[in-house]
Amino acid sequence: MNKISPATLWPDVAPDWILNGPQGLNDFFYKLYKCFVYDDRYMMYVKGLGNTLLLTLFALLLGVALGVIVSLIRVSWDKNRTEMRGFGRVVLGFCNAIAKVYLTVIRGTPVVVQIMIMFFVIFASSRNKILIGCLSFGINSGAYVAEIIRAGIMSIDQGQTEAGNSLGFSYVPTMRYIVLPQAFKNVLPALGNEFIVLLKETAVVGYIGLADLTYAGNTVGGATYEYLYPLLAVACVYLVLVMIFSWLVGRLERRLRNSER
Amino acid sequence: MSDKNVLIRVEGLKKYYKGDAIKALDGVDAEIAKGEVVVAVGPSGSGKSTFLRSLNLLEKPTDGHIFFDGVDITDRRVNINLHRQKMGMVFQHFNLFPHMTILRNMTLAPMKLRHKSRAEAEEQAMQLLGRVGLADRANAYPSQLSGGQKQRVAIVRALCMEPEVMLFDEPTSALDPEMVGEVLDVMKELAHEGMTMVVVTHEMGFAREVGTRCLFMDQGKLIEQNTPDTFFDHPQSPRLQAFLSKILK
Repeated sequence: MNKISPATLWPDVAPDWILNGPQGLNDFFYKLYKCFVYDDRYMMYVKGLGNTLLLTLFALLLGVALGVIVSLIRVSWDKNRTEMRGFGRVVLGFCNAIAKVYLTVIRGTPVVVQIMIMFFVIFASSRNKILIGCLSFGINSGAYVAEIIRAGIMSIDQGQTEAGNSLGFSYVPTMRYIVLPQAFKNVLPALGNEFIVLLKETAVVGYIGLADLTYAGNTVGGATYEYLYPLLAVACVYLVLVMIFSWLVGRLERRLRNSER
Repeated sequence: MSDKNVLIRVEGLKKYYKGDAIKALDGVDAEIAKGEVVVAVGPSGSGKSTFLRSLNLLEKPTDGHIFFDGVDITDRRVNINLHRQKMGMVFQHFNLFPHMTILRNMTLAPMKLRHKSRAEAEEQAMQLLGRVGLADRANAYPSQLSGGQKQRVAIVRALCMEPEVMLFDEPTSALDPEMVGEVLDVMKELAHEGMTMVVVTHEMGFAREVGTRCLFMDQGKLIEQNTPDTFFDHPQSPRLQAFLSKILK
């Protein structure tokens, strides 16, 4: 009767070599087996990880695209509104107003609420959770990226713009060749941070029942009554992902900085 | 001076800030002829920098007209960027592009705006760099240069666009004293080659030696203008006399 208690609950679950393993370790191995191997449960984590990465990747692309557009609208309006006339001014002013509403609403409400509104209200007829997830997180991230990029553009000394203008560059080429490359270099750490936040934030996608990495851990925990190992494993995967990402951003940063020393 | 030679004509130039609470420029009329080296001096806050920066519309005038090559560039329908290509500008704080090499700093505008080939633009840039003794720094970045070197690069960067006039906005004010000379030497050489120059500076020695005409500005107005010798030796207005007595002590 040296069998451990869980094994007596589900005697058919684990192979004999685990159940008859060394005293003290067999309990540990048994739990690992239950949480990761039995019923091919590791596939839940793998598929969850796939969904998490997919969400992060497309939300990131959408977020950067939105962020760049919104920040450029905000900056050009602030810079040029006193000099513009006519139709162009009306269009840019309108875009700026929309951008401001977008920033206020998105940054003023929780992302969980946003994604639930998207899933249960706006796209209530669609069951494509991945698409809705990408859209929600992309729109959410775009607002933060926009403000980060705007800060970066404003951090560039006015003299740079003046130097570009004095050579004969108009607004757009001055931004493209002179201001934006410098702004991007300045905001890279903040952007990297935003992407790390985004990766971890996708964990709330379980609220609409999309099986991401966190959801996988939670499900296995519920099925086995063993939460420690699934959640620990999930946490470790996030940690490793973030570490890899930080390292990549750091490399890019160093590479860009090299040009100045 | 005959009208034909006038390169820049300024009429009733005004620049007000905050409504009309601050009058940086309060009705300035001036003419700058081809080949002239006009030096503007005056106490700080006198509007001389604003005047210079208005010439290529980095400051938008509240009122008045600026004619460059006979074209009223304050007209909204005029594409100012085309005219700025012909007006080189040098700033107090150099304003080199820190993310580009010296060579790229110089070739950017000729390649993008004049559609020169890279080889052509680089050849011209290297030749100009050679003239200011910096050919060996072509592939360095601005942060690797001393202040004097940066300003010399800024001057030749503007020259790469083959301007008709060069505007200098206190080009030596941010430099260590021992670097002022090397920048003034480049400017002197430029003046001797017949470049039209408008210079805002505190270097009275330069004004006297190189300038063909000196302007004295105070409180947004052009108070007095004369040839350097008369300007410094026989100032007419009491304000200029007071100013000179303070700085030439």
